[in-house]
Amino acid sequence: MATCGLIFIATFSLVYLFFSDSYWVSYVVAHSNRDLSTFYKFAALWSGQEGSLLFWSFLLAIYVFSALFVYRNKNGELMPYVGVVLAGVQIFFLTLNNFVASPFKVLATPGVNGALEIFTRADGNGLTPLLQYPEMVIHPPNLYSGYTGFTIPFAFALGALLARYPGEKWIHLTRKWTMIAWCFQTAGVLLGAHWAYAVLGWGGYWGWDPVENASLLPWLTGTAFLHSVMMQEKRGMMKVWNVWLVFLTFMLCILGTTLTRSGIVSSVHAFAQSSIGDWFVGFLALILVVCLVAYVKNRDYLKSENQLDSIVSRESSFLFNNLILLVSCVAVLSGTLFPVFSEWLSGSRISVGAPFFNKVNIPLGLILLFLTGVGPLLAWRKTSVDSLKRNFGWPSLFSLAAGAVVFALGLHEFYSLLCLILCVFVATTILMEFYRGARVVRARSGASFAASAVDLTLRNTRRYGGYIVHMGMVLIFVGLAGAAFNKDVQKDMQIGSTLQIGRYNLLLQSFDSKPERNYTSERMVVEVMQNNKPLMMLYPERRFFQTNQESGTMVAIYSTLRDDLYVVYAGQSPETQTPVIHAYLNPLVKWIWLGGAIVVMGTIVTLLPNRRSVLAFAVLQEPSAARPMSPSLAPSVTLREGHD
Amino acid sequence: MTRMRRRKTLLFCIAGVCTLALSVSVTAEDRAKQIGGKFMCMCNCNQVLTQCNHVGCTTSTAMLKELDQAVARGDSEDVITQAFVQEFGTKVYAEPPKSGLSLVAWVLPSVYLVGGTLLVVFLISRWRSRIHLETAAASVGPSGISAEELERARRRVARETED
Repeated sequence: MATCGLIFIATFSLVYLFFSDSYWVSYVVAHSNRDLSTFYKFAALWSGQEGSLLFWSFLLAIYVFSALFVYRNKNGELMPYVGVVLAGVQIFFLTLNNFVASPFKVLATPGVNGALEIFTRADGNGLTPLLQYPEMVIHPPNLYSGYTGFTIPFAFALGALLARYPGEKWIHLTRKWTMIAWCFQTAGVLLGAHWAYAVLGWGGYWGWDPVENASLLPWLTGTAFLHSVMMQEKRGMMKVWNVWLVFLTFMLCILGTTLTRSGIVSSVHAFAQSSIGDWFVGFLALILVVCLVAYVKNRDYLKSENQLDSIVSRESSFLFNNLILLVSCVAVLSGTLFPVFSEWLSGSRISVGAPFFNKVNIPLGLILLFLTGVGPLLAWRKTSVDSLKRNFGWPSLFSLAAGAVVFALGLHEFYSLLCLILCVFVATTILMEFYRGARVVRARSGASFAASAVDLTLRNTRRYGGYIVHMGMVLIFVGLAGAAFNKDVQKDMQIGSTLQIGRYNLLLQSFDSKPERNYTSERMVVEVMQNNKPLMMLYPERRFFQTNQESGTMVAIYSTLRDDLYVVYAGQSPETQTPVIHAYLNPLVKWIWLGGAIVVMGTIVTLLPNRRSVLAFAVLQEPSAARPMSPSLAPSVTLREGHD
Repeated sequence: MTRMRRRKTLLFCIAGVCTLALSVSVTAEDRAKQIGGKFMCMCNCNQVLTQCNHVGCTTSTAMLKELDQAVARGDSEDVITQAFVQEFGTKVYAEPPKSGLSLVAWVLPSVYLVGGTLLVVFLISRWRSRIHLETAAASVGPSGISAEELERARRRVARETED
């Protein structure tokens, strides 16, 4: 508690230094200036190497304090080990904060007597333009909360192994913590994608940059872990695998921050190159050794209690789900590090860019999407042929029909077509599950269908929250499928001239330049017309920040469920000095953000406690309100709503 | 040949030439875009050449101009690639070439997938064979089940099958 309090004081001191324009502190000078808005002065805390490490310690302290507080009088055999692991991780980051990358270094010069004299600068260098965007305030905290959050399941897994703590207790204890970390990581990754989309002005949201990849890696293993723990909970299987998945997820979090901060790989997101990478590599090696030793010494406690009964079962679907997630993770990791290895081995660095990652990961993503639809409807242990027909007959039919329709409408791009077919398949399986469950609840309670679906969800939040998460993923895949049909046009524009893209016609009404408080803006006023009727105005602009002599784009986006009209002011033509417009038409992008919001919502639902079922009593007490139950339903209705 | 028929033939010829000309120009633009998608912009933005729109990026402008000229000359993709690699080094590849050391990058994901699948199949078959052995062993033992064992088995089934 004392550590947490002290880290709080240190963090808020740095925030105070930003707000009080203390230009005698090196970090404040490097990342702020007097004209910077209040909003971004707060975000400046995590905009550089030193501040972001302090912010990491701050978030970790919150997690550590919360975990130790929640379990303060429980699990006496386990918690001392967990506490030691958590303290070890916290000590490493505090060492960096204090001795390697302190954000509190002051500006000083040697005085006449040789002693250092502190001096104050009149103003700071300002925040990098790319970071002066609203999502800068929420994207890094989300991502860092994900990275640091995985420390809790890691500490419990390692603690349980060291303590030879029996059974699945550590998984039950950490499930919510893992879900919280995963939720933050998901939100962080998607907010980062949205930030890249809205700020970088290249019309895309995921460029497979090494730092983007670094955030995806623990997400992939974390997702695998969330699925495979169910096998341990239900069947006592996969104990070794689960422990190593947690270890791997945590190590990938550390590896991710190593890549960002060491300069090993080149990235637009990376912090300035520094020797701090050596510390992280050392820490990573230490974690690996500790995990290996703990495993080798205590592996007898991780023997499976059960075996797999059938290949057509929930267990085997989880195995394949884990396989695909891990293959994807390793493929992304090896692609990210390949330039480094190629340079070591051959002396010349070979780049691995977006085309490679797309070719490798699109098929894997589609297999995963298929498993998302199939897995949850397979029974534990063994699934009968009748059950397969019942659960997958209609979804298969619907998805093939949908595929035939979109093919007839002109969608012939193989992966996009397959993706849409699978999306319909998965969505149908999920909706059918809600329909079946809600129908049973409705038959007993007489409530409306929507109320029954809500009631059903609240009575088994884990299962139906999981379905909501899957539905969100389906929407994300729909959005990704649209990328195959992106269009773009670039044109030098005279005032009054027009540009046609898709069904939109863009008319340049005016172009001006005006000084703002922190920058000078060059702005286009573009009227968007559809069928010769004015639709809306867009204002793409370019901002020039005098303090750090850097420019940034502000993209103008008109977003609909069908597509995004994405307009960038691409500077002035060197030959004609006329403004250049770069317009993109990106289909279905909004579905990605919508899907992301649903994933987060679903995760929150899974974290809710189950509402206790009192339907049977409700029926007895309020017979008039309830609908008579059909005889066919009566014998099969149970309060558990299990299946198969 | 009647006058009408001659006119029709002429119109068809003109339309054919126009379509051909249009398709040639579209192909050149598409070809430049397709080849440009295989190179990285060398301004350190880490973006594919055709996607780099760094404000005021002179590198991508110059590279795209060079690419357009090469495509207009009718250079093959190999020739253009070699020229770019010679000028900028192997860093210019957006995806590793499928030869030499770079082939490893392409082969690795397939190796992971095939290796992982074989491992999963091996594990499943081993687990299943163990179950068969256990079932066989159990079938030769005493057939009577105590009430306590039955209750334990019921609890286990309930735990393992609930969601």
